Amino acid sequence: MAAVAIRGVGLSCALGRDVAACAAALLAGGKPPARVALPGLAEPVQVAYYRIDDGSGLFDPGRFARLLPGVVQDAVADLSASELSTLPLFIGSSCFSIGQSETGYAGALARAASDTYPMPHCGYDWLAGLVRQAIGGGGESFTYNTACTSSANALLGACRALRAGRHRHALVLGAELANLTTLSGFSGLQLLADQVRPFEAGREGLVLGEGIAAVLLSVEGAAGAMRLHDGASNCDTFSVTTADPEGMRVAEVLRQALAQAQLKPEAIQGIKAHGTGTPTGDLAEASGLRKVFGTLPPFSVLKPYIGHTLGACGVIELVMYAGALAQGRLPARLSPVAADPQLGVQPLGVSRSAPPGYYLLNQFGFGGNNAVLVLEKPA
Amino acid sequence: MIRITAVGHVFNQLQDGASLPSLDAGLGQVCRERFRRVDRFIELALLGSGRCAEGRTLDADCGLYLGSGLGPMSGVIATQQQLIRDRELPKPFNFINTLGNSAGYYVAKNLGLHGQNLFISRRGASLQALLAAALTDLQAGVVRQALVGVVEEATLPLAEHRRRQGLPEDMAVAEGSHWLLLEEHATAGHRLEREHVTHHETTASRPAAFHDSIAAAQLMERLLKGEAAVLADGDPVRGWELFHFRP
Repeated sequence: MAAVAIRGVGLSCALGRDVAACAAALLAGGKPPARVALPGLAEPVQVAYYRIDDGSGLFDPGRFARLLPGVVQDAVADLSASELSTLPLFIGSSCFSIGQSETGYAGALARAASDTYPMPHCGYDWLAGLVRQAIGGGGESFTYNTACTSSANALLGACRALRAGRHRHALVLGAELANLTTLSGFSGLQLLADQVRPFEAGREGLVLGEGIAAVLLSVEGAAGAMRLHDGASNCDTFSVTTADPEGMRVAEVLRQALAQAQLKPEAIQGIKAHGTGTPTGDLAEASGLRKVFGTLPPFSVLKPYIGHTLGACGVIELVMYAGALAQGRLPARLSPVAADPQLGVQPLGVSRSAPPGYYLLNQFGFGGNNAVLVLEKPA
Repeated sequence: MIRITAVGHVFNQLQDGASLPSLDAGLGQVCRERFRRVDRFIELALLGSGRCAEGRTLDADCGLYLGSGLGPMSGVIATQQQLIRDRELPKPFNFINTLGNSAGYYVAKNLGLHGQNLFISRRGASLQALLAAALTDLQAGVVRQALVGVVEEATLPLAEHRRRQGLPEDMAVAEGSHWLLLEEHATAGHRLEREHVTHHETTASRPAAFHDSIAAAQLMERLLKGEAAVLADGDPVRGWELFHFRP
């Protein structure tokens, strides 16, 4: 089946607001994360965090309404009002309106209001409502919540709907903004580190980040447009939180993605690894990659530059990686990398040219969810 | 040709002042093991999917399409109470259970599945969104079997549960877990095509969980009786078509 074209993109992340500028910053080595204090806890907790520099308080519940519209409008800029009115929405997130709920509950507790109850605001569909307002339209919506693969699965869903002839265009959104539940939940799981060092010896964990990205997929694209060739998604029931160190299901989903795109491993020019920097997550990914590739293509990690944006990372990292490919370069770790001999693989250490061809983008998450996307950079 | 080859569900109308009905006996019948540290949303998903799959072995690559209007509310509520009221870090298992796809993980583990495992929501019409996604994948050959389920959990006290959803104070409240097994190339069962799943967006005033669960429960009851008809949802005001199927 035909691939679908990436016709428009929008982005806001720790590296900035403009896709080309963010990709350039990524290729130049990025910047370190900020330190963030989690308010309201009896015992003080601070975490490293890649935040969007928008001048507002990190937990300000109005940030989604301020940041999301511009990102979405950038992606759909060349669609007509008629096309926007029926544009299907595929949304992936792991936070949704939880920040609004936190604020509402905390406010009610502070006021000692008689009707105080947790989760006064709920609903996965809240983001779809913001998108509809932003574009003045929107057709049917599909909101995905599969942890860190949420927006990658949304991309797969949109790609398949287009390939099946259901629509001519589809908007895919990945959205994750700071909230107390996520930051404190990961802190409680003891998965956070001060620095993210994927696939390195002595790596200690992940650093979270926030971002919003939107992609407009279309059945037709301009010459030179990047194209998405679907991919694959599966579930590893090894553990709800820990990846199988043997990487069996990682290898399986990589093979499924290649088979679906009718590609052999040798056709892959580069890989955007998930690369969270957790000891077990990177081990599982490395094991899976080694099982599929005799000679591993150069692979890049993006989380040292923008953090782990959780449910949004599928779309955000697609936009970032495609942005780097469009500038003709593969992202590389520019700081010295201490190889982990147990993994047997190492991310690209020196940026190199990105030739036309096929690229894989890996996303893995809690609940054993694995998703791999196949991207084509045209000649 | 895609057909509905099995159905299974749980549906409990709830009463103010009463506790939630125990699911233990049912879970004992359909679960391979006793899962620890799971919440009611996960238990409802396990029980409904287990009843749908009872007596058959699903393909390991069967796709799982789980959805909900509200999601795992008891886990989210517990997490917010720990974090905001008690000013403590959330308990790890409460936090993990707040993920929509945690329930999908346990269903997959219980039924021996390792195929695509999705959680998709659409306010007041999650079942439609799930069916649309599953049928697209079945028709494209991405999956050959699709286990599709919508789960809505109620939390106590019911007065809070109603306020959370904007429901009238006297509205009946239910919890449910409603599942269909769709198979490509099946020769028996109700025929279902992508075109049968109509698209309706709901307004903010419509109570999502109530709509999802009542509509899905009505669908299940008809399917279990072997009836084939255009199905209207359970909305007491507007009553529009959810989807229809042909025998």
